[in-house]
Amino acid sequence: MGFRLSRPNGDTRPSRPRLRRTALAATVVALAAATAACTSASHAGITSGTNAKGTPQKGGTVTLAWQPGSAPNFIFPFVPAANTNGYNANLANLMWPTLTYVGDGAQATVNPQKSLWSAINYSDGDKTITLTLKPWKWSDGTPISARDLVFTYNLLKANVPNWNEYLPGLFPDNVSSVTATGPSTAVIQLTKSYNPSFYTGDVLSIINLLPQHAWDKTSATGKAGNYDQTTAGAKAVYAFLQKEGGDMSTFTTNPLWKVVDGPFELSAFTPSTGDYTYVPNPHYSGTPTDLSKVVNEQFTTSDAILDAVRAGNGPDTAPLSLSDIGQVRQLQSEGYSVASTPFPGVAGAYLNFWDTQDSAVSAVFNQLYIRQAMEDLINRPQIVSKVYDGYADPGNGPVPVTGFGQWVSPLEKKGGPYPYNPSAATKLLTAHGWKVVPNGTTSCAHPGTSASECGAGIKTGQKLAFQYLYSSGDPSTDAMEAAIQSSEEQAGITFNLKAEPFSTLAGSVAVCNKSSHPASGCGWQIVDFGYDPYDGPYPTGAGMFNTGGADNQGGYSNPTMDQLVNATEFGSGTATFYQYEDFAAEQLPLLYVPLPYNINVYKSNLGGYAPMNPFTGGINEQDWYYTK
Amino acid sequence: MTWYLVRRVAQSVAVVIGVMILTFILVHMVPGSAARAALGPRATSARIAIFNATYGLNEPLWRQFLSYVSGVLHGNLGTSYTLQQPVSTLISQRLPKDCLLLGLSTVLALAIGLPVGMYQAVRRARPSDHLLTGATFTLYSMPDFLLGLLLVALFSVQLRWLPPEVPQVSTIGALLADPRALVLPVVTLALVSVATFSRYMRSATIETLAQDYLRTARAKGLPQRLVLTRHALRNSVLPVVTILGLSLPGIVAGAVIAEDIFNYPGMGLLFYNAATSHDFPIMLGSTLVVGVATVVGNLAADIAYAVLDPRIRYVAR
Repeated sequence: MGFRLSRPNGDTRPSRPRLRRTALAATVVALAAATAACTSASHAGITSGTNAKGTPQKGGTVTLAWQPGSAPNFIFPFVPAANTNGYNANLANLMWPTLTYVGDGAQATVNPQKSLWSAINYSDGDKTITLTLKPWKWSDGTPISARDLVFTYNLLKANVPNWNEYLPGLFPDNVSSVTATGPSTAVIQLTKSYNPSFYTGDVLSIINLLPQHAWDKTSATGKAGNYDQTTAGAKAVYAFLQKEGGDMSTFTTNPLWKVVDGPFELSAFTPSTGDYTYVPNPHYSGTPTDLSKVVNEQFTTSDAILDAVRAGNGPDTAPLSLSDIGQVRQLQSEGYSVASTPFPGVAGAYLNFWDTQDSAVSAVFNQLYIRQAMEDLINRPQIVSKVYDGYADPGNGPVPVTGFGQWVSPLEKKGGPYPYNPSAATKLLTAHGWKVVPNGTTSCAHPGTSASECGAGIKTGQKLAFQYLYSSGDPSTDAMEAAIQSSEEQAGITFNLKAEPFSTLAGSVAVCNKSSHPASGCGWQIVDFGYDPYDGPYPTGAGMFNTGGADNQGGYSNPTMDQLVNATEFGSGTATFYQYEDFAAEQLPLLYVPLPYNINVYKSNLGGYAPMNPFTGGINEQDWYYTK
Repeated sequence: MTWYLVRRVAQSVAVVIGVMILTFILVHMVPGSAARAALGPRATSARIAIFNATYGLNEPLWRQFLSYVSGVLHGNLGTSYTLQQPVSTLISQRLPKDCLLLGLSTVLALAIGLPVGMYQAVRRARPSDHLLTGATFTLYSMPDFLLGLLLVALFSVQLRWLPPEVPQVSTIGALLADPRALVLPVVTLALVSVATFSRYMRSATIETLAQDYLRTARAKGLPQRLVLTRHALRNSVLPVVTILGLSLPGIVAGAVIAEDIFNYPGMGLLFYNAATSHDFPIMLGSTLVVGVATVVGNLAADIAYAVLDPRIRYVAR
């Protein structure tokens, strides 16, 4: 899983995430947030959307509105480690698609039709992948080939630290070799067995296929060769491609970027604004798009987007902030449709189990019953209905119940292990030796380690009062955190809220665990960054809940959890997954909170738009067409 | 005068250097890691190391400062962490747009504010003076974001006379190709500034109208129009010149609210976004440009004073 900026609504969200493991820099533009539509007009029901009726037409231009911070600045699909912009994937993926395409309509699933392989077989106990590429061609007529996959692997293997999608242990670390066994057949030998659902859906979905015959070169004037076959050569090729990939003035003119295998090619790019235009790749081997042009326009705020939409002649599709939900009827009357899709991720507030400033706080968080009491007090259904107008996943556990079909366990479907229950929270605390003071501050009255005492490391008088940091800039997030703060007070648990810009949070809140302890940035207590997306249709907890995981901010560690996470990543089966899922829901490595949906508006005669793909935020340009 | 100019320029250089040092220290005192702020909370240590090496953040602070100063002297303001472009390029893309936007709005505000101020002075304490005072104060007290949104709601959404955003183009020429798109942002910024100019102009004109040389001009039979334009205007406009000089940094710094509302990527948003994302090179570069504009603006105001009022002469001591 990878971090996104913030909760996906309002001005701080990455509006159109294509699922990537990329950390994004925060671009918080919230000055006009206070003026966000204050209308109280009730909105019409927003669903995942239905496809536009009418006869499909050839041609037409679609203009997309992008929210602040979405402007790409790099075109080569493998972005340098120091590049903070996750939206570069949006620019590149339509020209150089990933091996696996995820999402099929509203379904969170692998999409074989749009993937580059025609067959993918796992053998040798799921340690060997035999991948057969489709008989597609690059735009210069050269067939896509297994050699291209070898080239891609060689580049990443030699340069992996300088790839911003890299996560230690995953691709290419977990690959011992990639061999072309035929023109279009490649064998990927893994270092250990992996769950095919995980590997196909979550790993191969971030690997773009590169044109070896055109890009295996070390200078603009040199000819392409087989430089990638040595480490030094692969480094030189990678350095050259990354250098060229950062030159925005040549995005549309550099011959390198003219060789594509995706449905579109770039026809215009404005470095000063980040606006760019696609036209169809006339040599695309898949189903060609019906559109003649796709214009991507950057905006400074969601208010500017809404103004442009409402003024007419503006964008044909745009994200709609939750604070603008009241505008839905108006937009519908002006010829727009509105649709929503869940974000494929998990939202929650991390607890610091390795607090360097106050170890007593970590001792408190180590007690499962206290985490349970905290979760019992979060009225998630009410937050969904009142704060998010119903457009949010309730956050019953680690897997969104609205987005992941078969991977949602019966326990999560029923509402999760901790439905809102303030009296249960009070009972739990009282039974463990706490003096509960509703609307005051509960404190430990009976220290000790027996079942009726507060627990190890907790002293008499220890208060249940914590600093709670969260990402600022979005009114609905403010409302949700305030609601949580208020409901926790029923059992005397105090959350001292502090909103900070995402970058400030990211810069000052370190990943804290046993090996990093004591780290300088580990004085925080509770932090809610927003949400953490799943890279593919297999919502594994690897990296997030296992000991030492890159996303395990608070250093949660539990051997059983490690075992169950490993079982989902390296084993397979729904029952195995449910075991992990229910355990993660019950153990509360973080406090689960609702995750709002992605809501888009689009011209009502724009076909192929709905139902929206959760993994692309509904942005599937190659599927769109106008109807008459 | 020459010696005065030399002295002022030297002072200005010293001020700019001071601004550079102070800003550099303050920016680097911001708590937290710039690398983690830019890369996100899940950035691996390897990625953080690459980031720090790329931007020289692994060097001691004094060496970073020397590198920065050396870069500035060679016209290199560094590379943005988030936008991955040279800061000088980013500023050169946005600064002309802001100069156009804020320059036009200042000219419009002057075109309205000066005559209104003079008119009010001439019609002092009469109903028209009170009416204009009320009107200008209303505009002055109105937040520019509210005024901007109201104008968009009326002229773009309801009447559909004017576009709600400016064209997303690279050059000033392309921007001017659709002048209708500039109307709302220019008018928004101008209206909130009118009161400033008109109030200063009114006060100065009232004072000027009481001067003996104006009584003499009238006694000589000079028509009121010429009395006002030839004699009163030039002397009354001096305080406004000071205001204009001081507003130069504002022009360079951009107008973050207007840029926000009208989808006008300028210096204001550039700095604001940099400040919220720990993008030190942009923060330093923008501050330097604004610092230079401040001293230049003050210097220009002083010189303009001397030109407008021959009684004011700067002499060497």
